Amino acid sequence: MAKFGGWTGKTLRVNLSTGKIWTEDTIEKYKDYLGGTGLGYKVIWDEMKPETKPFDPESRLIFGIGPMAGTGAPCNGRTAITSLFPTCWPKPLVGTGHMGGQFAAELKYAGYDSIIIEGKADKPVWLSIVDDKVEIKDARKIWGQGIRRATAEITQELGPEACVAAIGQAGENLVPMSVIMNSYSHSAGGNGAVMGSKNLKAIGVRGTGSITIAGDKGEWEKLLKYNLSIMGANNNHAVPSSPQPWAEYFNPGSRWKASKGLRWEAANPPIDTGACDPHDLNRIAYRTNNAVTYLGDIGWSVTVRENVCTGCPIRCHPMIKVPSAKAKYGVPEIGMNTCGGLNFGRSFFKQFPDGPRGLTNVEACMVGMHMADDYGIWCNYSQLQRDFVKLYYEGTIKAKISDKEFKSYSWSKYEKGDPSFLFELLPRIARKEGELATVLGLGTGYLLEKWGLSEAEWKKDKDLVYWKMSHPKHHSNEDCGQCGVILNTQYNRDCQCHSHTNLVRGGLPIQVQKKIAEDLFGTPDAVDAVGAFTPMNTGKAKMTKWSLLRKELHDSLSLCNWMAPYATSPLKERGYKGDDTIEAKLYSMATGGKKNPEELDVVAERIFNLHRALTIRDMGTKEMREKHDTIPDWVYYDPDKKPVYTKGTIHLDKQDMQLAMDMYYEVMGWDKKTGAPTADTYKKVGLARVAEDLGKKNLLP
Amino acid sequence: MDNRDEKHEILERFLGSAELNHPFSRRQFLKISGVSIVGISALSPLFARGATKPLVIMEQAKGIVIADPTRCVACRRCELACTEFNDGKAKPSMARIKVARNMNFGPKGIYGQSGQGNWGNGLITQDLCKQCPHPVPCATACPNDAIVMKGPANARVVDEAKCIGCKMCQKACPWEMLSFDDDKNKATKCFLCDGKPKCVEACPADALAYVAWRDMTDKVPARMVPTAVVSPEKAASCNECHKK
Repeated sequence: MAKFGGWTGKTLRVNLSTGKIWTEDTIEKYKDYLGGTGLGYKVIWDEMKPETKPFDPESRLIFGIGPMAGTGAPCNGRTAITSLFPTCWPKPLVGTGHMGGQFAAELKYAGYDSIIIEGKADKPVWLSIVDDKVEIKDARKIWGQGIRRATAEITQELGPEACVAAIGQAGENLVPMSVIMNSYSHSAGGNGAVMGSKNLKAIGVRGTGSITIAGDKGEWEKLLKYNLSIMGANNNHAVPSSPQPWAEYFNPGSRWKASKGLRWEAANPPIDTGACDPHDLNRIAYRTNNAVTYLGDIGWSVTVRENVCTGCPIRCHPMIKVPSAKAKYGVPEIGMNTCGGLNFGRSFFKQFPDGPRGLTNVEACMVGMHMADDYGIWCNYSQLQRDFVKLYYEGTIKAKISDKEFKSYSWSKYEKGDPSFLFELLPRIARKEGELATVLGLGTGYLLEKWGLSEAEWKKDKDLVYWKMSHPKHHSNEDCGQCGVILNTQYNRDCQCHSHTNLVRGGLPIQVQKKIAEDLFGTPDAVDAVGAFTPMNTGKAKMTKWSLLRKELHDSLSLCNWMAPYATSPLKERGYKGDDTIEAKLYSMATGGKKNPEELDVVAERIFNLHRALTIRDMGTKEMREKHDTIPDWVYYDPDKKPVYTKGTIHLDKQDMQLAMDMYYEVMGWDKKTGAPTADTYKKVGLARVAEDLGKKNLLP
Repeated sequence: MDNRDEKHEILERFLGSAELNHPFSRRQFLKISGVSIVGISALSPLFARGATKPLVIMEQAKGIVIADPTRCVACRRCELACTEFNDGKAKPSMARIKVARNMNFGPKGIYGQSGQGNWGNGLITQDLCKQCPHPVPCATACPNDAIVMKGPANARVVDEAKCIGCKMCQKACPWEMLSFDDDKNKATKCFLCDGKPKCVEACPADALAYVAWRDMTDKVPARMVPTAVVSPEKAASCNECHKK
């Protein structure tokens, strides 16, 4: 085998039933699937039978990492943990939990591209990886402990540089709504219980080795500087949120929050974020402040700094200091997380005594994140909390659980917005204590089934943003019209796709976006201004395919889809164009396996078609259009009854969405009637054998 | 110029350089050195030709990388820039700037309870080479005189051709700043990228700066007690100047 850079060349395999530990040649076996999700889907396709259940010993748990992880390519900290998703309703199907942090890089430095876990240990164990020394170790001492204690004890053994991915009590107790967590606060949602079912408490990694860059080091340095030069703030937002001396545009919705006079007030001493001219690459880390994005202006007063993954200059993961949270609730005064993790605690509450943007809101965040990140509870993109609010305020909880159990919760505290209510609720979810906590831990679909509630009702409620199969929307029509909707139909969990939203919600004026869209998708009509949507067209179908393929590409290469693809940039002199060939450039130079963007997109297409094939195989039907790619009713609903495609409304037209699905299936090379890939399409992307297997089962269109 | 004169010249030049941090005065030093200078040499181009005895004195470095821990965001792009742009591989364990080891729990580690790092108050200490003034502990400890001064920044660098991979230098540096490239079996250390440090360029948080050399040896706490042994020849050389 030719020597490649980027990859370490070895994939680690562990069978916890037999205790066998071995390695496979990554290049020989998985190069055509890159790593990450691609490798995960491949292993599940090859090695798992459709009837396998998530907690069966035969079930695979794949920590998929790609060739870019651990290199200097910006934003490479992603680990894609693929398994069957126990929350996926009515039948668990393939899904991936995505975590940042230091795990991906540390594993690469230890000499492994990915880890594939199978089997079930007969007692609690943890996996110790110190370079080439891999051992299964007794975890009885840390079983039952939170993630933080487990991590600390393993770190005492492996050294302070070690990275630990662990489950909390939720994962141990097979709560489907659980996470795998590394680096204090970086979680992969949805497969903690799969790890728990294997009696695997944690994976501790210490790596001192290297990843070779195949290309010339001087050229690599130039390429990385170029990549940095076209990056925006978090989600690649390309304009600042307030007027800046260097900026032609600004947009209050942007996550680019830096400005002279706005400071990380909890830094000691405080740091002024300043103007952050995009040409100044030494100030990229000050652009984003997601404490402010999520908490409002109070975010500045609590910001210590921004944190996040290996090699990422963007820092989307705020570290905040809230002394009152320690004083009142006894949680550490410093905490960090982002998005759903940051919002975990506060999202349970409908109101707070000091309003939605006050200190109690922040304290609820602190209590929630410290507990959830220790017990290892998953929010399912805050669907857990939205479900809870609805169930409580509609009286369902009172109706469905015993009076005694109902009274065991302090509902007056809850209604007032007292964060200490979380101490009553969250541990019970992790321990499956009582009816309420147990059903909340199942995920929406199973919760509704267990309590005899109608999923159809859930799909009507615009505020719930529930989509299907237990999962909510993730950047749907509110961001990107038909494109957002189609993307949300494609996965077995919330779609986690940001390619589209990074382009259209980055704050650039619509006329600039349209120019960029014309370059990328052949027509300026591929993008609409939000609230000024137009009917479906071919540009939108192309953009949807591009968004999806790039998401899979990033998840397989270990590049962050919360930044890439860099369709836009903050640079006026470039007409705000980014460069969506950057992935191919990074891949080619790091690995030495040269691919142009089109060739790399074919790999991404192979990977996503394999995800599709797995979904079809495990659902046992090719009727994807009817049974899988469904759209909730709320997408077609406008509370003000405004006509569709008029200014100020984001709802879409049902018939036009049918046309949109037709056009999408067509660009994907899938059968329009069933929404299933054709044999030809499988063949074209290198999946002829997959097509053969599906053909035997009558699962081809 | 005989050997004795040359050594005198070395000392003169050494003492003329800025910001010495010595327990004795220039005059005292000259007096001592005038009596007997045995076994002193330095590896600047000027003196290399006559240098035969153990190396203990180097000219002062011209630059140094300094860091502000309160600005560090723990991205480790400095570590990656160090090894990728200089060595063509991503290998933080041999980066000549060290962040990862303090990132989680601070310089004292998980047992030290310093309350720093991502698990504590968020403060990330970036460890950097001090480009030590005389005596340069790593150079003094090297049994093969492989740690030498190199222009244009007068950095203390590992001469790979001379390094025998014994790791004595690692036992000598109180700040644990010596790295080891186990692919080559050679020690390596910060060489200031010949005056244009890659780590400084790579920092996205303005936390690093390349400045005129200043003595940081008495400002940054040591990480360990050095245990390297100095060879008897070198110890004798030290003694020539330092004895009362």
